[in-house]
Amino acid sequence: MTVEKKIEFEIDHKFDPITNRHYMNGFCTVLHCHHYATLYTQLADDAEEFKGVQLLKEAAEDTFYEVLEDYYQKNGIEAIEDKVTIAEQYWQAVGMGLIRFTGIGKYACTAVMEYSHLDEGWLKKWGSRDKPVNFFTCGFVAAVAALANGKSVRSFKVKEPKGLVCGDEVSAFKAVLT
Amino acid sequence: MAIDRKKIIEQMSKVSVIGNEEGLIPGFNVYVQQLPSDFWNGFARRIVNYVPEDLVESAEALLFNAARECGYHTGYGIITSDEWNEIVAPMVEKVPEDVLHGAYAVFTAWGWAKSEVIEIVPKEKMVVRAYDYYESDIMKYGKASRPCAYMIQGVSAAFMDIAYGDSPYPDGMGTFQCEQTKGIEIGDDYGEFLVTRA
Repeated sequence: MTVEKKIEFEIDHKFDPITNRHYMNGFCTVLHCHHYATLYTQLADDAEEFKGVQLLKEAAEDTFYEVLEDYYQKNGIEAIEDKVTIAEQYWQAVGMGLIRFTGIGKYACTAVMEYSHLDEGWLKKWGSRDKPVNFFTCGFVAAVAALANGKSVRSFKVKEPKGLVCGDEVSAFKAVLT
Repeated sequence: MAIDRKKIIEQMSKVSVIGNEEGLIPGFNVYVQQLPSDFWNGFARRIVNYVPEDLVESAEALLFNAARECGYHTGYGIITSDEWNEIVAPMVEKVPEDVLHGAYAVFTAWGWAKSEVIEIVPKEKMVVRAYDYYESDIMKYGKASRPCAYMIQGVSAAFMDIAYGDSPYPDGMGTFQCEQTKGIEIGDDYGEFLVTRA
């Protein structure tokens, strides 16, 4: 019987003693807390007239597309299943929560989160609300859906029909080809 | 001053931060995440560039406020943490001045900004300099027309709120304000931040 080893996301962390910056797999990273993340989220949500939510989702999509694409290229990752596994492990490693992609198709992708930094943070800071708040992960899911299908950013539009912050059992994400 | 910046940076920069089995990083009384700095810069730039000119200051104030709340709560979490008690607290002789110097060493160690306190007038004023900070990376899109290190501005005000706030934590936020007087992003050699009473 052969046992296939599941692919694992590897972290190469470096601290530059000259600039005092941290790098994860070559990308400058910074620690921030749930107050910062939820206040950025609230700012985006309040800026409805100025497409705040869209701007936040796009900032996330652009960043995480670049990070994951770079990782896939440097590590020779081509299979869709492996790309998705790495993406899930990356989100977990950086503290954004536990995401599981439940469907990857050409026209639509779905994912759920049982634990989420944004939702846990929002609940801790302000309590529940009636609309989902995880715009960071919407952008992340858009990036993963595009990369899994060999497409560019803005190929998928993502909605969050369920949210832990709303009292749902999971946060749910659906990406649809634009 | 007994604060050994070099030692704090060397030791605190090694603190391991990685998501647990739930993908969360609880610590310092908050949840932490470790995202690329380009993401934070990317949204800040987008929102400031998108709003009409007359609303730019309002958008900047909200970005400042996000950092102030982060700095106030996380900052307090840091100076009451096991890591702080082990590494920094033994160096503290004068409270709260040494605490502020130590806090900026931790601020530096965690990659927020290579920064230090230049001047403190107790209960009134603090001057901070930052010689390298991720918010200045927006220069790759061209020199900025105005200082935009909102995170350092907000956190600096928060640290003074913790040190000299009109009320002790958690009720002293908003006692101080911060003005960024220099910035790498506008062509200066370093960023400078003047914190005074609001």
